Amino acid sequence: MQDAENVAAPEAAEQRAEPVQQQPAAEPPPGEEPPRPPGPGAQEAASGEDDEAGPEPEEPAEPAAAAEERAASAPGAPSPPPEEPPAPAPAAGEAPAEQAGDAAAEARSEGAGGEDGGADEPSFSDPEDFVDDVSEEELLGDILKDRPQEADGIDSVIVVDNVPQVGPDRLEKLKNVIHKIFSKFGKITNDFYPEEDGKTKGYTFLEYASPAHALDAVKNADGYKLDKQHTFRVNLFTDFDKYMTISDEWDIPEKQPFKDLGNLRYWLEEAECRDQYSVIFESGDRTSIFWNDVKDPVSIEERARWTETYVRWSPKGTYLATFHQRGIALWGGEKFKQIQRFSHQGVQLIDFSPCERYLVTFSPLMDTQDDPQAIIIWDILTGQKKRGFHCESSAHWPIFKWSHDGKFFARMTLDTLSIYETPSMGLLDKKSLKISGIKDFSWSPGGNIIAFWVPEDKDIPARVTLMQLPTRQEIRVRNLFNVVDCKLHWQKNGDYLCVKVDRTPKGTQGVVTNFEIFRMREKQVPVDVVEMKETIIAFAWEPNGSKFAVLHGEAPRISVSFYHVKNNGKIELIKMFDKQQANTIFWSPQGQFVVLAGLRSMNGALAFVDTSDCTVMNIAEHYMASDVEWDPTGRYVVTSVSWWSHKVDNAYWLWTFQGRLLQKNNKDRFCQLLWRPRPPTLLSQDQIKQIKKDLKKYSKIFEQKDRLSQSKASKELVERRRTMMEDFRKYRKMAQELYMEQKSERLELRGGVDTDELDSNVEDWEEETIEFFVTEEIIPLGNQE
Amino acid sequence: MEMKPILLQGHERSITQIKYNREGDLLFTVAKDPIVKVWYSVNGERLGTYMGHSGAVWCVDADWDTKHVLTGSADNSCCLWDCETGKQLALLKTNSAVRTCGFDFGGNIIMFSTDKQMGYQCFVSFFDLRDPSQIDNNEPYMKIPCNDSKITSAVWGPLGECIIAGHEGGELNQYSAKSGEVLVNVKEHSRQINDIQLSRDMTIFVTASKDNTAKLFDSTTLEHQKTFRTERPVSSAALSPNYDHVVLGGGQEAMDVTTTSTRIGKFEARFFHLAFEEEFGRVKGHFGPINSVAFHPDGKSYSSSGEDGYVRIHYFDPQYFEFEFEA
Repeated sequence: MQDAENVAAPEAAEQRAEPVQQQPAAEPPPGEEPPRPPGPGAQEAASGEDDEAGPEPEEPAEPAAAAEERAASAPGAPSPPPEEPPAPAPAAGEAPAEQAGDAAAEARSEGAGGEDGGADEPSFSDPEDFVDDVSEEELLGDILKDRPQEADGIDSVIVVDNVPQVGPDRLEKLKNVIHKIFSKFGKITNDFYPEEDGKTKGYTFLEYASPAHALDAVKNADGYKLDKQHTFRVNLFTDFDKYMTISDEWDIPEKQPFKDLGNLRYWLEEAECRDQYSVIFESGDRTSIFWNDVKDPVSIEERARWTETYVRWSPKGTYLATFHQRGIALWGGEKFKQIQRFSHQGVQLIDFSPCERYLVTFSPLMDTQDDPQAIIIWDILTGQKKRGFHCESSAHWPIFKWSHDGKFFARMTLDTLSIYETPSMGLLDKKSLKISGIKDFSWSPGGNIIAFWVPEDKDIPARVTLMQLPTRQEIRVRNLFNVVDCKLHWQKNGDYLCVKVDRTPKGTQGVVTNFEIFRMREKQVPVDVVEMKETIIAFAWEPNGSKFAVLHGEAPRISVSFYHVKNNGKIELIKMFDKQQANTIFWSPQGQFVVLAGLRSMNGALAFVDTSDCTVMNIAEHYMASDVEWDPTGRYVVTSVSWWSHKVDNAYWLWTFQGRLLQKNNKDRFCQLLWRPRPPTLLSQDQIKQIKKDLKKYSKIFEQKDRLSQSKASKELVERRRTMMEDFRKYRKMAQELYMEQKSERLELRGGVDTDELDSNVEDWEEETIEFFVTEEIIPLGNQE
Repeated sequence: MEMKPILLQGHERSITQIKYNREGDLLFTVAKDPIVKVWYSVNGERLGTYMGHSGAVWCVDADWDTKHVLTGSADNSCCLWDCETGKQLALLKTNSAVRTCGFDFGGNIIMFSTDKQMGYQCFVSFFDLRDPSQIDNNEPYMKIPCNDSKITSAVWGPLGECIIAGHEGGELNQYSAKSGEVLVNVKEHSRQINDIQLSRDMTIFVTASKDNTAKLFDSTTLEHQKTFRTERPVSSAALSPNYDHVVLGGGQEAMDVTTTSTRIGKFEARFFHLAFEEEFGRVKGHFGPINSVAFHPDGKSYSSSGEDGYVRIHYFDPQYFEFEFEA
């Protein structure tokens, strides 16, 4: 806007920029400027100062301004010297020195005149005609400088509006309340409650001991809800001016320059539909982004010390978050430029809202009683802090759980479930839910439904409740008995909820596990139960289907069972495999295929299972594997040995979904691999069906493509080898020429004996017969395989 | 690769270095026990021992005409032996363990380096055998101090004009054998260089490093030529005399092996193509890391020795000689 103004009025451009800046009414004056009493004199002085700054001699504007100021303040000041000549009297600064010099010279000449007589004893008495024109400033300018000013302390004053209007009878009480609220920010040294017709006026002036307290109060108490009718508006007294001069005309806010971040989803347009992943290696010193390729990973970006601990992708893959002592940085776009920064000292944990609009960060360092900063929710697009929270419970991260659409987020504290809404970040319906004994809760990934459970309390059974939001309507409550523990497992689409209930039924010993399967898409949410007597090691829903897998038993007798929730609600065991070496279940994100992995202590055993017909496609091992990561499309899966859990053999291996090993990528002190997530597909269910139907047509094209690229690759490899060989031969030829040149030197050094070839001095050989005691040795072939 | 190995059992402790003589009929082995041994390479028969050291022996070398043998030991001495009789010809006392030693091309000058140890720094000492007083007075004609990073492996350069030393920090230095000054300095490895072996014509050499790689360099310029990558520290590497092949031995150090699984150590000798830097074969067999590998001068067999105390002589099968990369 300023630019535009300058262009429109070229003559204005000749003036310096400052005056222009002072003009827009909406713009507050810079904070540092000393408060000036509103008056034309000061304004003039200020502008005069602006105009005349520079090498202008004689009468610097400053003393004039100061004088004006002092003159204005004179009536209130305690000791203004009345006889003082108004014009040249400087108030403070460098000018006094000059003045003093003049006065001294004057005095000297006077003195010289008086002493001319030549009396021996110096006379200290003033001459008769002496006029005392030494100003107070000359005598004690430094002390006068510190004398109180009327405007002193004005920065420490705040104005509180929307204070209840009370009569004298309740004034004392009001004062107490106000005092209690506002003394949180600092010591209140003075207050004033203006009155009219025997009632307070509904606003109050409070003075703090320091301006910092006043600022603090404005920052934190503005918007404070005293009760339903009274929400405080708190302002600095010094801002009065600012608000008085707000123009009635609305000024168009200045347009922020558009930052072109490029196409943040460019990676989805890749012709080969390859996926990206991030790799942290060299014990965290280096981070790389790769295209996943069947042949070899293709590096896109590699940076040293990109993050200080680890990285996270946002849920739809748009951003890569890196962790730093001072906060979080988000990167994206084709060149992985920095997109946003969130300053949160000592940040340790983060969480994205599923819609990628908000970021939640946690730091154990920053929190203070008055200013909640342990958990901060940020707006990713603007970079603004939306709200800070204390971290009251030591619950598992994420403390705030988001609803699937990012509209709500909730957290659990003792006997309380607090649900907040976006974008206001305020409590939904302004109050939390009191749920006595609440142990755990979880949002449905398919709708705004919260599931939570409370344990048994004397005669009241434990219960699982499903609640619709924002109506808070309980759509299903299920009572459970003899409950030890519950775990809530949602199927990824929100079609099913499985509550894994560990129970100790009366009359039996040990723990029995019930899987209570809630069918969310049906009326009344019917529930069916599968009971298991064995120890449960792991449970996992098929992401896009109605199957689930359970690992159960005690090592080494571990079994995996696959169940199917049929349309009629019956739960059917499809298949059970025993003697499994597994402790974790990894479903393909597309369902159907699953990897059963025995991570860490189970040496990295892997089983690739197709659950459509329950066949084991491959049994393999990645020794000491610590992680398994499916790519977002379910075509590939990566197993890895992280330096964080194991110090040798750090590598990540790429497999097809069928368990065919494609690559072994050894990386020095490899730490972590994370696939870049993809946003949900834009294809409709029908389109997906059609594609599945036409799969044969596509697979022919793909196979042809694969063949081409394979033959191209082998051609390239042969070509590369050929050039390597040529270069190497060339180099060797040079070295050997040098070798031949030195032949005479070699002969000389070895007394004329040619040792260049093993048999080059064969004529010098002496026949020698050595007798060996030959013993037959049997070497077990097992050693060398 | 399928190969019939000959096992040499004789050392009580892990083998530190093995070396063929120029003709290849003999194989010298030294170990963490004090007895130096020599074997017929053709069948693994033991020919004799050299007794006199009282500590672990780190290094061994024979001169070109197999008259003398030189050994360096942790007993703070370097010994010169008569190869045939096993007689100790000289005992050179040092202040710290002798890590590397060698005869120059003509067999007249010996070189050895000592460890930085017990307050003593690392030195390379040079003795001219043609001047007996040097040996008698234990006064080398030259002693190069090496302050920064100690020498962990060293060989004579071509024609005995210089030595090529590999250091603890991964540096390579070429020291003049006449003036002692550093002629060339390069750093291509990030960690300790465990072994340096020249090609038969001495124009190139291969280094084995703790940084999981072996690298090929030009002997004169120390220019880096090729890199051979593994997942394990490489303790030794040797060049085939007649093929563009290099064999690497190594493995996780005993102290770093955290599980009982032998699999984790990966104690295989690994064959790479010199020009393509690609691996084409592995030979299993050792029960611990391989400490030293050597090619027979005729290229038809190679030997490996390891932490398990065994020396294994492997004769290549016909497939080895027939194998060729598609290029």
